[in-house]
Amino acid sequence: MKKVDLSIDFCGVKCENPFFLSSSPVGNHAEMCARAFDAGWGGIVYKTLNIESSFKIVMPSPRLNAYHYNDKRFVGLQNAEQITDRNIADNIEDIKNLKKNYPTKVLVSSIMGFNDDDWRTLAKMSEDAGADMLELNFSCPQMARKDAGHRIGQDFNAVTHFTEVVKKNTNLPVMAKLTPNITDMIPVAQCAKDGGADAIAAINTVRAITDVDINNFTPLPNIHGHSGITGFSGAAVKPIGLRFVSELFNSPTLKLPISAIGGIETWVDALHYLLLGGRTLQVTTAIMRYGYRIVEDLIEGLSDFMIERNILTIDELVGKAAGKLIDPSDFSTRFQVVSQIDENKCIGCGQCFISCQDGGNQAIKFDSETRKAEVDESRCVGCLLCKHVCPVWDCVSHKEVDTQSEKHAAIF
Amino acid sequence: MKNPILKENIERFESMRHPLSLQAGIKEANRCLLCYDAPCSKACPAGTDPGKFIRQIKFLNFKGAARTIRNNNVLGSVCALICPVEKLCEEQCSALALEDPINIGGLQRFATEYGKHNNLEKNQPGKRTKAKVAIIGAGPAGLSCAAELAKRDYQITVFEKEQKAGGMPAITIPEFRLNQDALNYDIQNVMDLGVEIQFGASISCKEHIEKLKNDGFEAIFIASGLTKALKLPLLNNYQNALSYIQFLSEVKNGQLNIDVENKTVAVIGGGSVAVDSANTAKALGAKKVYLISLESLSELPADDEEVRLAQIMNIVFKSSTQITGIENANNEIIALAGQEVEWETPGNYSPSNAVLVNHTQFKIPVDIVVTAIGTAVADELPKVFEGLQTGAKNCVVANNQFQTNIPGVYAGGDVVNGGATAVEAVSHGKEAADEIDRFCSISGK
Repeated sequence: MKKVDLSIDFCGVKCENPFFLSSSPVGNHAEMCARAFDAGWGGIVYKTLNIESSFKIVMPSPRLNAYHYNDKRFVGLQNAEQITDRNIADNIEDIKNLKKNYPTKVLVSSIMGFNDDDWRTLAKMSEDAGADMLELNFSCPQMARKDAGHRIGQDFNAVTHFTEVVKKNTNLPVMAKLTPNITDMIPVAQCAKDGGADAIAAINTVRAITDVDINNFTPLPNIHGHSGITGFSGAAVKPIGLRFVSELFNSPTLKLPISAIGGIETWVDALHYLLLGGRTLQVTTAIMRYGYRIVEDLIEGLSDFMIERNILTIDELVGKAAGKLIDPSDFSTRFQVVSQIDENKCIGCGQCFISCQDGGNQAIKFDSETRKAEVDESRCVGCLLCKHVCPVWDCVSHKEVDTQSEKHAAIF
Repeated sequence: MKNPILKENIERFESMRHPLSLQAGIKEANRCLLCYDAPCSKACPAGTDPGKFIRQIKFLNFKGAARTIRNNNVLGSVCALICPVEKLCEEQCSALALEDPINIGGLQRFATEYGKHNNLEKNQPGKRTKAKVAIIGAGPAGLSCAAELAKRDYQITVFEKEQKAGGMPAITIPEFRLNQDALNYDIQNVMDLGVEIQFGASISCKEHIEKLKNDGFEAIFIASGLTKALKLPLLNNYQNALSYIQFLSEVKNGQLNIDVENKTVAVIGGGSVAVDSANTAKALGAKKVYLISLESLSELPADDEEVRLAQIMNIVFKSSTQITGIENANNEIIALAGQEVEWETPGNYSPSNAVLVNHTQFKIPVDIVVTAIGTAVADELPKVFEGLQTGAKNCVVANNQFQTNIPGVYAGGDVVNGGATAVEAVSHGKEAADEIDRFCSISGK
């Protein structure tokens, strides 16, 4: 049997596979990180370090609220979590021990300072403890003080400045973890690069509100009668994450490796991120929901896919789909598609009919006698709404029609 | 004052079919494909419209779902519990093409119970400004017709010979399948519409009809059902042989005066009432219960859910057999003799089509025999309405508009179709109400 190599070089650091814990409660201390390594994770980004003498962290409570869709639980997760509330000595001791016990695993130390001294100290202590890399947290969206977290990530000069401070005081590769709570991530990523960053990690969580208690008119999580707009993560944010990662990858000027984050649960999610430009992949929410064990399925699933496609290294996947993204203004309109319903697979529910009637171009006919849906090709505008609402996954397909003209326009 | 063994078993059976929780209800509703032409809705005789109420549950409009059911089917809570859904709505479910059908009965119960427990507004009474209509029988057909006409402002009086409403389901269906709360809720909803129900009011002679006319009733709906249990002549005159109506109704009333505990009971019949009788006997503590049916196990006309319960209860199915004789002592049956049968013409399940199979004789010692081989219209009905056309089993002959041969006299439910489901009787009541409304409107009432 062919063997694929899931290892990848990231800023000169050899990673046995691209799967990392992201900086969060899943990497809160050594015992947890050790279990993650044992489960098969290639690396961890340790929970963001803090110097308690500079600023004491106390977590709000409750600090989580899940986003549920219908009966589907935990489609996303909102958190009011802070950076670590453990003291720096304990954390540094943990990092030392982890590196000692797991020398081939990658340990990235995530740090956040509130002034130059903090950043310098944390960088130095991490390096001394044996960390392989630094991640600068410029993006926590719910910091307990207003001059930190994503507010730094939105302040271009601060990003450049703190990256510079760190770079001057360490020999380790440095990545800047950026916030999606910004119109365009490229300029700020460029500022990190200007400050010397070797890589970008994105996305941190998306500022959001997941729920409102309709009994007492209070958004959730209800933190003693109040709530806040805080970080949202998990499967629901994956489309947003893919957008930012691909933009970073496609930037002609940036050209930095990307550690991709945002709603990865399955190997298919992982593959999506790789194809749009991620080199390493960070996971938290899926671990909070399902545990470290999911890495087995990430590794096995991705390996099998690569074997089937005769792809032998992760490098061959990175960014392979990103080049196909173009500006919507450049889409070709010459080729139009027409839906095709497989009448043998159609179970007659008529959902495509309802959706096409009320949300499409009234191009589907429904025969109440035979209970079959049929496409009126003369009216089909090829939106494929029918395909997406069909409960039978492989019932609706489409064919492409060459209109021979970019100026083709619907005649309805 | 209920038999403690029965009470315990009722609780046990009820817990086996516990209602869907909020979580389970939402989850189940989200499996629904929300069909354009919901075949479940088309399959419901009473037009309960599961396609709509499941959509309402899915979109968290629980009270709306409860309203849909109540408006469309006056026995919505009852049907949720006793409908043979696997032969009606669920059999047509589109999801069957992909996976299990939607648990429509469960969702109907979910919605009706949600309404009941969450202050769903009461029905508004009709204005009672239109003609007086008499309804004979407060069973599914009668209540359904009464409700529809009351909503349209007719003055409705239901004459019920028993002391409670609900018809055969109320009298015979065991508590573990149909709880009294569900029945009471539906009946209260009908009464809230301004329907008057007179209990113990038997319409049993010509003079009663004369009086109705003199009292100004413009139309009559006969919905008196099938109240006469058919008997096997072989079993006549033995004191330990009961009809299912007597057995089940006395158990429900707490009036059964034979002891069933540790006894051997044989139930003859293969329909729902037979299986209900067998399960009830077992629930009363019977040592052994036989279900003796001409039909094979897969041919039993009883609902799947009842048969499943019977299997759990270790009822002994003597399927494809016939009783051929009895042994008696002191005016009691002490054993049944039987023999296996085959259908002479496959697919024809009438007793006359059953032929005995040689060398398959058996004998069962019994303490109690319950006959559940069918019912007929009460003997007095033809005498009440002079000239009323009747047919097989004394059933009233009515046309597609539920008209009898007597102008102004309509009939529906079991009394017409010879015994079918409650939900079908509800549909008769609704449709007959349309016709009675038309009749009264034309005659200017």
